[in-house]
Amino acid sequence: MRDYWLSKLFFDLQTPAVADAYRAGRAKLLDRYPLKPEVRAAVEADDVAALAPLVNPYLLRFYFLMAGMPEDEFLRRIRAIKATADERP
Amino acid sequence: MAELAGVFAASHGPMIVRNWDVLAPADRETIASAFGELGRRMRAAKPDALIVISPDHWVNFFIDNLPSICVGVGDTHDGPPEPWFKAFPHRTLPGHPQLAEHVLRTAAARDFEPSVSYRLALDHGFCIPLYKAGIEPVPPIVPVIFNDIEPPFPSVKRCYAWGAMLAEAVATFPGKLRVAILATGGLSHSIGEPDMGRIDEPFDRDCIRRLESGDPPALFDFLNERLPGAGNGASEVRNWVAAHGAAGGRGFELIRYAPIPKVYVGCGFASWNLG
Repeated sequence: MRDYWLSKLFFDLQTPAVADAYRAGRAKLLDRYPLKPEVRAAVEADDVAALAPLVNPYLLRFYFLMAGMPEDEFLRRIRAIKATADERP
Repeated sequence: MAELAGVFAASHGPMIVRNWDVLAPADRETIASAFGELGRRMRAAKPDALIVISPDHWVNFFIDNLPSICVGVGDTHDGPPEPWFKAFPHRTLPGHPQLAEHVLRTAAARDFEPSVSYRLALDHGFCIPLYKAGIEPVPPIVPVIFNDIEPPFPSVKRCYAWGAMLAEAVATFPGKLRVAILATGGLSHSIGEPDMGRIDEPFDRDCIRRLESGDPPALFDFLNERLPGAGNGASEVRNWVAAHGAAGGRGFELIRYAPIPKVYVGCGFASWNLG
């Protein structure tokens, strides 16, 4: 299952005015969305691994691009999920 | 009556445009020559209208209301909203309401229940192939959006049937019109997943072989088994299956296959010989 409000946040950020509001003040924009505390914490921590299971992968990728995370860093973090899973016994 | 003038398919990975200037010259040449040949074949078909089958990349639809298949019936559609695709020369694109409405009537008669939109934004999935293939002027478009993005997806068998129904709609359209079908997306790619960037070349080549074989049930079996493991973007192969259905499951001709890691996509380009 997707996290509805996290998905809604990422979807809305495709609108330039919402993205501008995000860049002007992330906390204030996040206040508009009733995110669960742990989900909001993951957004604030740029925690790719925590957010990945909660949202469509295309929206996840869009969000971190929009938020300014360099592509190489996003790839490192998203691939680390698989590496971690592969290491589990 | 209208005529099915051609059936085509092409990848549409955003990096083809976003990163064009920094791609290796050999990759640029591969992509440009493939799109060039696709464009040559599409222009040779002299279409008066296009039915374009593509996913919606979270532009028109959200999980509030996510149609499995949507047909655009408007007389105008919006161009791609992606900020990195401002080079696309059209802010709006013409629709073909009469053909679209005939598609809907044919769909209803054949027990399909598509969603309907009077105004769609046609994102990069629609517009990158048109742009890179040099389809200019762009003929009126009937957009057909397949949900290839968020599960549950339409079955590959259903997508094939959709393609056959589209061909029937073209054949029974009461007007002198040459219609081409363009399916976009695929082949394998993974976006925003833990294996992002992985291209499943064996999947892609097996998929091409099964399209060439002219054995739709074998293609369905193959895709039912292998699609889930070929990356989320491979889901767009459903659009190719619809094109295959429109062509009656015959005549697949590969123009080019090239797995290009820098665009994250197993890039495929094809047309169907309808003769």
